[in-house]
Amino acid sequence: MLDGTNLIIYAAAVSAISFCGVLLVTPAAIRLLVAKGRVVPDAHKPEMPQVPRPAGPVIMISIAAAEVVLFILTMNVAVFAILLTTVIAFFVGYIDDSRVMPGWFKPVALLAAALPLVLLDIYVGDVYGDSLNLIFGSAYIPLLYVPLIFVIIPITGNTINSIDVLNGVASGFLIIAMVPLLVSIAIFGSREVFLAALPLLFAAIAFYRYHKFPSRIFPGDSGTLLLGAMYGAIAIAGSSEIIGVIALLPAVMNSFLFLASVKRIVEHREVKARPTTLTNDFKIAATNDNTAPATLVRLIVVDKPLGEREIGYQIFKLALFTSLLAFVSIAIQYFVFSR
Amino acid sequence: MALMILALFVTGMWAMILAVAAFLVIFIAPIDVYLFGGHGERLAISAVQAAIAVLVVIILVAGLSKLKRIYLHKKLQG
Repeated sequence: MLDGTNLIIYAAAVSAISFCGVLLVTPAAIRLLVAKGRVVPDAHKPEMPQVPRPAGPVIMISIAAAEVVLFILTMNVAVFAILLTTVIAFFVGYIDDSRVMPGWFKPVALLAAALPLVLLDIYVGDVYGDSLNLIFGSAYIPLLYVPLIFVIIPITGNTINSIDVLNGVASGFLIIAMVPLLVSIAIFGSREVFLAALPLLFAAIAFYRYHKFPSRIFPGDSGTLLLGAMYGAIAIAGSSEIIGVIALLPAVMNSFLFLASVKRIVEHREVKARPTTLTNDFKIAATNDNTAPATLVRLIVVDKPLGEREIGYQIFKLALFTSLLAFVSIAIQYFVFSR
Repeated sequence: MALMILALFVTGMWAMILAVAAFLVIFIAPIDVYLFGGHGERLAISAVQAAIAVLVVIILVAGLSKLKRIYLHKKLQG
């Protein structure tokens, strides 16, 4: 177990590595991607400016550097498992960034990202516990826990991916959702996993600087899938699965509404009926098309059209509200566990 | 206004998650004791727990779908 001094030193080191990595390397990545012509139009703005994509490699390198340092310092297998899960999710996303893949590809390929958590726990041990913290108590489910991991990783990866529809939303949303997750891990998880979670938070904070409205770079599937899968891996290794899901509820709701509308796993680009439309003054409005999928953005603009930045802030307010619900859940769990 | 209703929707989802969590802790976790007298086969216990947990999750999703239908009919049709 790490002592207090080491905890503070390691926390400062891994946070600084991931934060500075993203902050300092992203401008060079923007120039490189623009020079290579790897740009996509930002559809919600006048004249549709070309924005470079993906930022996934920069985020991955920065987080990997921090996690490798942490692993060398602690030799903790959970840290290594979280890193491997993140790397696999990144490669899944990078394939999707590089070529057009069918809708089933991301959720199915993300099953591979769950493998390091399961295999390292079987062959080395101590990646996650055999009990699932369920707010009002814990359930000892050593066999059931394995299929649960294969459900959690694709879900968290895809929910962060599916909420990446407007400038800054995916990174900003993740920053907010990370706060209750970190608190939960600090209380119910291990110090090593808490340290392993810090690079994700600080990479997201640094990336938000470039991703916020108006975006200077997009994360791409490689960026959003690695952020989401890493979030899931941290929640699993940190014994905070349910708290993690609660903090992620707006994104989960977005995915759920979409899936419940189209009734199959499909890419957004494959859906013909659009849930929203752009007005002449470049505001986003809900369409009246009954066949269009219900999405979080569509529901936010259902009363009146809103600008892209304003919708982003509305999503952040909703994320803050669910973070509050996550904190209430943490308080209930703490009260139950300390009795 | 839309945000307030979405917050209520999210609160409904949260309440459902808590209800399912409580159900799993109270009834499913100790199933070994009152179904197998504390001496059940590990695989059999897990299979029963999995079947009930999947059923509960299906009910949860059905409940959310109903919540969604009520909400969407109100907002998008009106």
